[in-house]
Formats: sequence, structure tokens, C-alpha cells
Amino acid sequence: MAEQKVELFARRLDHGVQKAVHNNSAAGTEKRYNVLGTDYSAPDDLRRLAGQIRQHSIEYLDTYLEQAEQSLKRQGAHVHFAVTADDACRAVSDILQKAGAKKVVKSKSMISEEIHLNDHLGTMGIESVETDLGEYIIQIDGDHPSHIVKPIIHKNRRDIAKSFEREGLGDYNDDPETITRRARVFMRDKYLQADAGITGANFVSAESGRLVLVTNEGNSRFCLAAPKIHIALVGIEKVIPSDADLAVLLNLLGRSATGQQLTVYTEFINGPARTDRPSGPQEMHVIFVDNQRSEILASDCREILRCIRCGACLNVCPVYRQASGHAYRSVYPGPLGAVLSPLLAGKKFKELADLPKASSLCGACNEVCPVDIPIPDLLLKLRNRGHQEHAPSPGTPPMGAFAKLASSPMLWRFAMKSNKVMNLVPLEKLPLPYLQPWLKTRTLPTWRGGEFRSWMKSRHKK
Amino acid sequence: MSTAREQIFSSVRAALAPLPERTPRPVFSKDVAEPKWLAAETDSLALFQKRAEATGTKCFTDMDACASWLRTQAVRVVYIPAPLTHLVALCSEFCEVTSEYSRTRVNEIDAAFTPSAGAIAESGSIILSDESTPDRLAALAPWHHIALVSRAEIHRTIADALAAMPADPNLIWVTGPSKTADVEGILIQGVHGPGAQACLIL
Ligand code: SF4
Repeated sequence: MAEQKVELFARRLDHGVQKAVHNNSAAGTEKRYNVLGTDYSAPDDLRRLAGQIRQHSIEYLDTYLEQAEQSLKRQGAHVHFAVTADDACRAVSDILQKAGAKKVVKSKSMISEEIHLNDHLGTMGIESVETDLGEYIIQIDGDHPSHIVKPIIHKNRRDIAKSFEREGLGDYNDDPETITRRARVFMRDKYLQADAGITGANFVSAESGRLVLVTNEGNSRFCLAAPKIHIALVGIEKVIPSDADLAVLLNLLGRSATGQQLTVYTEFINGPARTDRPSGPQEMHVIFVDNQRSEILASDCREILRCIRCGACLNVCPVYRQASGHAYRSVYPGPLGAVLSPLLAGKKFKELADLPKASSLCGACNEVCPVDIPIPDLLLKLRNRGHQEHAPSPGTPPMGAFAKLASSPMLWRFAMKSNKVMNLVPLEKLPLPYLQPWLKTRTLPTWRGGEFRSWMKSRHKK
Repeated sequence: MSTAREQIFSSVRAALAPLPERTPRPVFSKDVAEPKWLAAETDSLALFQKRAEATGTKCFTDMDACASWLRTQAVRVVYIPAPLTHLVALCSEFCEVTSEYSRTRVNEIDAAFTPSAGAIAESGSIILSDESTPDRLAALAPWHHIALVSRAEIHRTIADALAAMPADPNLIWVTGPSKTADVEGILIQGVHGPGAQACLIL
């Protein structure tokens, strides 16, 4: 009987969201630490330099955004501007409809998640396929990413195998290699049939007009190799002064995100195809999206706009590791999200005003941030703002509860024993209209920490 | 111009106007982000080979060795662009050789040689441009991709390569085979792009 229990726990643990998130995050932090230590004697100096480059970029955004626009136009790209998320969605579908495009392939981009582009394209009758393996799985499951770099950190191979089986991608098979091969075959046809490829951009160089895009899978390259139209959705804050700045930023991005010196594919896009270079998309559109960014620029939290979306602060954060990304109820989780998400919510700030409280202010996020964002300071400023605007106080649902639990070992153990309290928070009943689209497709991860702890204990007793 | 554009620019200007001072553009030397081990490396070719192998890119310095490797890979159709006659002769012994990259054969052609626009020693990256690689798919869709790298075009550092970027609509640095760790953090090669990345240094 005892064995059975252990087996049961082992199996559950394998399924355990919390364990997966915890271990994967911890491994990410470890890798980053090792590679930075091996490569640089003063990594902090480099982080501070990168921080200054990005701070300078956003404080001269008026200049650089205009310069980027000119450079892009000079190379033959069409440049559009979108004030809100809806405007950005409409800009994309307008371009597609004008070209008679019915099928698009998408390369992972956080901003398209932020504006809910796939939902919009769906209502317009346009098929949009996510090509990043993780994002594709998120899409077929009607789920949402729980990490900005590793979107399915909360899923295991059995979940994925079941989804693939359901979608008709072959019989149940949970071998990661088989899963990847099946996705490869499936995506091939999608790329070749697509009328347009949609990407984000990691950086835009104002001086050269180059859009820089990094991926490990090569999917963004495919989105720009087969289709005839390229649409890039770019947050206005992504602009940097020049190509020379990339020497600092690219070196830090790969190392901070995945512990790689460089991401496998680093692509520099400098306009649509030309008659003497006919391989790429014939039309290139760049849509610069504001969606509250100029508001953030005006606020005392503008430093968050430096972010290069590496995910290091998520990996290192004790709250993120315990709670997983979905607990943050927004597109950007972790310490980055605790600052950015309430700010992006604009007038609905109050509904996410509890997020900045989900931190013990341990400072680890600032220490790992490749652009040296003072996240704990920003969290404090936002707590203050929440206080002044009379947002619900901590302890109310649901991040506040997570936070409280996670920040006190005693409470944590108690909660674990008291039968998975977090699973009892009735998310869909919470009176928070802003969250409804999010909650439609999401539940908090099943709370298994208590089982893990007691399982560990029973193991030690043996 | 469009109202959205004006609206965004005026909000950005309004946001920045009250700043008492703005962060100046930092001055830094080109080599500031070079890893500390780089200074000891004096031979760019040797460094490139070492770094490329470390990221999973196979390096060959002669055609025969490269062809022998392909022979072991059970390749069926290989794309070799026009002038490489010796390579064509070598590969014809064990597979079909085509000098035409056709989109109707994307799933059949399982190996491709394409010229590159150089390489980066520091990171072991291969540089492809639209000028060097006229069909982007040819260097991406086959399981085996072998870039032809000329010794004279190996940049020592990332910063050197950035400073020397040609005016091409597209440049891509390829640092190893296509990979993912999305499923339980397990590393799998060959997601969308090549599962076997190689280069032939000439
Ligand atoms: S805030 Fe810093 S550490 Fe976090 S994702 Fe952004 S750049 Fe990375």
C-alpha cells in the first residue's frame, strides 16, 4: 500500500505544475548565472551599461521613434501607428483584408498576446497559426502562456501528447522528440500555404531601421521565408539608437534568457524583398503600438520600459516559482508583470493593483535584470499608488492570497496542510470584469505543494 | 499624417517634457561586451571552429570529409548551387543532386549547401544574407544545412560583425541547429529549421 502511495505521488508530481515551474525556473537561473560568471569579470557593469542604453532610448523616444520610422520607410517598409490594442488588431486585419489574405502564420510575440490578436483574427475569419512549439500548444489548448520565454512551462509531455492526439496530429505519443517532429511536419504546410507572416521584434535600430528578431526554433525565419507579406507588431519602446548598441544588448539577452551566448537565429530585417533580392516577403508592414506605453513613460515607473523580455526575473522570483505564471492573471507574469501589467491596464489599474504586493521585495529580480531595472522600487511606487487609489487591500483575491502565503513559511505550511486552499478560490465568481476574458480560459494551477512536502517527508522516513 | 501617429508622438513628447534632465547616451568601447576569454584567442579560424562545434554546428575544412559525413546521413536529395562541380561529383555517388531549389520539393530535398556571407568566431555563428543565399527556404527547410564559409569572411567578434553588416533586406546569424526546450525543458534539435547544422570552410 505504501508503495502505491509513493507511486501515486510520483505520478502526481510529474504532473505537478508547481514542481515543473519551480525546477525549470531554477535551472534557468543557474544556467544564466554560470554563463555570465564564465564570460564576464564584471557582469554588473555590463548590466548597468545596458540599462543606461535602454533608459537613454526611452527618454529620447520622441527622437528615435521618428528616426526609426524614417529609416524603415526609406527601405520600403510601410509604417503604421496604433494607439490602443484594438487599433493594433484592426491595423493587422486591415492589411490582411486589403491583400485578400486568409491564412497567417505567427511567430511568438508577447505584444500580440497583449492585444489578443488571435481572437480578433478569428472573428474576422482569418486563420492564424502560432508556429513556436510552445505557443502552438497554448493555442490548441485555448490556454495562455505562463512564462514569457517558456510559454508551456506549466505543462508536461502527457498533457501535450493528449492535445496533439485530440487535434489529429497522430496517436497518443508523449516522447518529446516525436511531439517536436509532428509539429515540424504540421507547420511545414502552414508556412507554405500562409499569405502572411506576423512577428514581433526584439529591437528596432533607429539609425539603420533594422528590425532584430531572435528565436531558437527558426520559426520566425520560416514566417519570413515562405509568405509574401510580413507584418511586425512592435511596442514603441523597442527602439534603440543604433546597431552598435546590439553588441551589448544581444550578448545579455541570450545569456539572461536561456544561458546561451546568442540565441540560435538572430535575424536582422532591413526591408521587403527587392528585385535583386527576391526571396523574402514583398510587402513589409511595421505597426508601432502604444497601448499605454506613453502613459507609462509619463509615470514614475518608466524604467520598466527598458525591459527586453528575457524572463530572468521570473525564473529567479520565489513567488513566481511557487505560484506559476497564471496566478498573475495577465499576459506578463513574474516581477516584470507585477509592474507592467497593472500599468498596461490603464484605467483598470485597480483590478491588478494587488500584483505589486505579490513580492517579498527580496531584490533578486533587480540583481538578475540585464537592463538593471529597479523592480523592487517600482513595486513600492505602485503599492503606494494602489493605496492612494483605494484599490482592494492585500489578502483579497487572488494574487494577494498567493503572495501572503508565499511570503510566510508558517502560513505556507499551514495552507498546504489545510487541503489545497488555493484550489478553493472561486475565480470565476470574483467581481473583476477586466479578468473575465482571461478567466474564460484559465484556472489556477492545482496546488500540490503540500503533497510534495509530505511526500518528501515520507520518503525521508524510509 | 495619420492621427494615430500624431497622437502617439504628442503623448510621448508630453511624457518626456517634464523630465528635468534626460539620461545621456552612454559612450562605450566596441569591445565592452566581449567575453573575458576572447583576448587569449588569436586565431579566428580556430576560434570559430571551437565555438561552432560547441553550439552544435559541425565544421568541415574539406569537401571529401563533408561528403563522407552526408553519405552516413542517408540523405536522399541534396541541393547544390551551380559552380560546385567537385561537390556534385562526390554527392552524386550516393544521392540525387539538384542545382534547382524548387518550392514543390521542399519536403523532398533533405540536404542543402548554400553560400554564406561569412561567420563570427566569437559566437560560432554563420551569417546568411539574401545576397549569399538567394532562397531563404533552401537554408532552412532541409534537415541538413551546410553553409559554405570563406576563411576570409570570418569576423572575430560580434561587434565586428555588427559594424560590417551589408545593406541586405535580410541577414541572419545561425548559431547551431534549430532547437527547443519547450517540452519539459528537454532539448530537442530540428524544430522547424535544420536538425543538423554544418559548415564547410573554404
Ligand atoms: S524586467 Fe529585466 S529581468 Fe525581467 S524580463 Fe525584463 S529585462 Fe528580463
